[in-house]
Amino acid sequence: MSRDHQRIIQEANAHYMQQQTRRHFFRECATGMGAMALGSFLGGCNWLASKDPSLLQTNPLMAHAPHFAGKAKSVIYLHMAGAPSQLELFDFKPDLMKLDGQDCPQSLLEGKKFAFIRGVPKMMGPQASFKQHGQSGAWISEHLPHLSTVADELSFLKAVQTDQFNHGPAQLLMHTGVPRLGRPSMGSWVTYGLGSENNNLPGFVVLTSGGKNPDAGKSVWGNGFLPSVYQGVQCRTEGDPVLFLKDPAGMDRDLRKASIDAINEANKLTYEEFQDPETVSRIAQYEMAYRMQIEVPETMNINNEPAYIHEMYGTKPGQACFANNVLLARKLVEKGVRFVQLFDWGWDSHGTEENLAIDFGFVNKCRATDKPITALLLDLKQRGLLDETLVVWGGEFGRTPMLENRDGKKNPFKGRDHHTEAFTMWLAGGGIKRGFSFGETDEIGYSAISGKVTAHDIQATILHQLGFDHEKLVYQYQGRPFRLTDVHGKVINEIVA
Amino acid sequence: MITSIISHFHPVLVHLPIGILLLAVLFHWLSTKEKYAALAAAIPIAYLAGSITAILSCITGYLLSGTGEYDETTLNLHQWMGILVAFSSAAGYLFACNNNALQLKWVSFLLLGLLTVTGHLGGTLTHGEGYLWKTESADKKDSTAVIKPIANAQEAVVYKEIIQPMLETKCYKCHAATKQKGGLRLDAESWILKGGKNGKVIVPGSIDSSKAYQRIILDPIEEKHMPPKGKPQLTEQERLLMQWWISTGADFSKKSKDFTQTAAIKTALSALEKSESVATKRADIPQEEVTKASETILESLRKNSVTVFEISANSNWLSANFVNCTKWNREIEKNISSLKEQLIWLKIPGAQLQESSWKTIAGLTNLRRLSAEHSNITDKDLEHLSSLNQLQYLNLVDTKITAKGLMQLKANSNLTNLFLSRTGIGAQDFNTVKLKFPKAVIDTGGYNVPFIATDTQQLHPKTDMK
Repeated sequence: MSRDHQRIIQEANAHYMQQQTRRHFFRECATGMGAMALGSFLGGCNWLASKDPSLLQTNPLMAHAPHFAGKAKSVIYLHMAGAPSQLELFDFKPDLMKLDGQDCPQSLLEGKKFAFIRGVPKMMGPQASFKQHGQSGAWISEHLPHLSTVADELSFLKAVQTDQFNHGPAQLLMHTGVPRLGRPSMGSWVTYGLGSENNNLPGFVVLTSGGKNPDAGKSVWGNGFLPSVYQGVQCRTEGDPVLFLKDPAGMDRDLRKASIDAINEANKLTYEEFQDPETVSRIAQYEMAYRMQIEVPETMNINNEPAYIHEMYGTKPGQACFANNVLLARKLVEKGVRFVQLFDWGWDSHGTEENLAIDFGFVNKCRATDKPITALLLDLKQRGLLDETLVVWGGEFGRTPMLENRDGKKNPFKGRDHHTEAFTMWLAGGGIKRGFSFGETDEIGYSAISGKVTAHDIQATILHQLGFDHEKLVYQYQGRPFRLTDVHGKVINEIVA
Repeated sequence: MITSIISHFHPVLVHLPIGILLLAVLFHWLSTKEKYAALAAAIPIAYLAGSITAILSCITGYLLSGTGEYDETTLNLHQWMGILVAFSSAAGYLFACNNNALQLKWVSFLLLGLLTVTGHLGGTLTHGEGYLWKTESADKKDSTAVIKPIANAQEAVVYKEIIQPMLETKCYKCHAATKQKGGLRLDAESWILKGGKNGKVIVPGSIDSSKAYQRIILDPIEEKHMPPKGKPQLTEQERLLMQWWISTGADFSKKSKDFTQTAAIKTALSALEKSESVATKRADIPQEEVTKASETILESLRKNSVTVFEISANSNWLSANFVNCTKWNREIEKNISSLKEQLIWLKIPGAQLQESSWKTIAGLTNLRRLSAEHSNITDKDLEHLSSLNQLQYLNLVDTKITAKGLMQLKANSNLTNLFLSRTGIGAQDFNTVKLKFPKAVIDTGGYNVPFIATDTQQLHPKTDMK
């Protein structure tokens, strides 16, 4: 054997040794010895020692049966990032008006921490007029003239609480159940549990608007420790929703298929050797990408919707806007996408600038979202989809009944600071009561006095509507089962129809 | 502390004397046969080991009885029989050593009987009266027992008709005749007022000092929360009524109307008049179960991009979505036909089907939900569908069907939800349709969200502040 040959073999050996990590050693050791022991018991039958090929044969996104028959099949979650003021929209507090301009009582400040309020702020009455709407008599402000017409479709949660007063952690808590990074998001849990009804589209799609991603970053739709096939797929809201859908010049679809098949074949061998579920994810993603080439241009294109739909939603084709995303959400749900997560940034009405003023920027945000959200509910309804589509609206926390005085000084515009003790969210469709309100706040909307619910309760309720016992939808990780609601969460049965 | 830990070993230890002594008896009987005569040598040691473990079981058992969680008469009997087992096995050892064959024979019969009875009594103590013949399903029924609706909640005796059934379904399992955890019984007025071994649990008129109530409202993750984790919990409504009953004086004979009622209590009371099970039952799932569908047929459909799966993990009823399979071939028709028992929900949005396929669908006689929006369904196809007499939900949005076509379904009396927007059914037909389907909620769509000038106007300080 020549020296060259020897060198190549040595190199290959060295490379092989590098691949053998401590984990490989333990695993091979344990299963190897276990298999030997079992083999002697079972007379050489090694069925227990054989590797589990089931993961490879089933598509990880294949639809599964939930724990029990859920009322909802999909979720559209409208997250108003930055946290809209409940006091200007749904939580009508006439008594707060009487205190307008007065110093905030010490009792409300003692032992409390605020993001920006310092010293003694002034109270601020509702900056909107309210009326009762529908047969349910829901209080909705003048800022939402369209939503007011569908008040009887909504179930309000008036006493939502959180323990995080900064955007990032509060958004993470709302969507992943923990205010720190690293946990799977609600959409990931749902696709992990239910799979997708349409194997040509991702099960969990994310659309953002308002010019910014949410403060918590892309972790709010991350897969955490779940296989990455369950992470939210963020689609672009301007231009092509998904890039590189078209095959490059000179590459026809058969050739594309052949190359993907070859790559997947290699990946399958890798999986057989290392048993890493991420390899299965990679295989599924290649296949999904290939199938999406056909489905996405059709589904993700709102231009082929009829004119009356565009008028109804108030879309602006070609531009990045919330209305387009809402229409897209409806189209995706119609096609069997499980979880559509919308984030609309710009609701952080501190009063530090015009766009963040409770009487300017905030009102404009309301105007830009009111018509599309109302259209979504009515459109789902007339398509017979509202019963099986759960629509959730809310922010990550609420806003203070006090006027924000950043660092103890007067802000240039009127605004409210972050508030954790009480805020409003609403749910509609998907087997939730129609025209209902649960929970109450005190006479100035500072704290919840009854029907308190937390992010975990809302998560438990969403999972419940989809057919899951939130305590049983678990994933084994780091030696223990994890779940979305951690050790908390109670289904809000009061709003379940 | 240490004694209570030792006492926890009783349920483990008791199995030793049972096993060893039965073996001793077996050896004794067998040893009379010549073939097994050699076993005779093992008999004394077997009896000795049996009696030592029996004594240990008696000691741990005595420590355990101190917790006061068990029915006293059964406990007493179990205790003395256990002691008798220990004595007889010790006697057995002595007889075996001295070769007193006759006495040993009597001891063996005695032990056989004692072990059986003592063991059964022990089982009764831990698992409750009559545990032996109870089947799993009966046990399940117990824990999920639904409280029957009350005819008139205002006229009802609060304790007897509202509180007692609540206690019976949620508390009796551990706090009644068969078991008294923490020394507490809740199955009669005197027991309830007496409390448990740590004192009173209900103080009439005082929510704050009523320990029973305080432990009900404790965070469910706390160890002291009642009912314990995993057991059926009190509903919000039951909790409210319990609070009301205690705070109004925990009376045992008065009626609801005799007490002041807040709005919340009034709602909770009137809710008792409705049967809970009716509300929680789903009409679009059949009550009975069905045999499992053939896996090969499901696989074959899935290969054709059909999403088909059970409606829930513990059910064989099927749901199918043809969103990616809008054209059917013979094979699909055949496969669908063979699922006609199981398929109850079917989605065929945008389907472009031939008449034969619509006939296939017409054969799915268990179908509860059919979504055929954007499909090529015609009035003629609808005629076939009149065979679907279980159908409740029918979505025909954006199809060519007309009012005349729909009338062919008027005998389908189960239809409760009809979606007809953007069909040939116009506003002028609406009333006729409504008359023919009086039970159904009919959605003809056509909603719009009229444009308001402010929708596109932006508020700015310069122009708006004067």
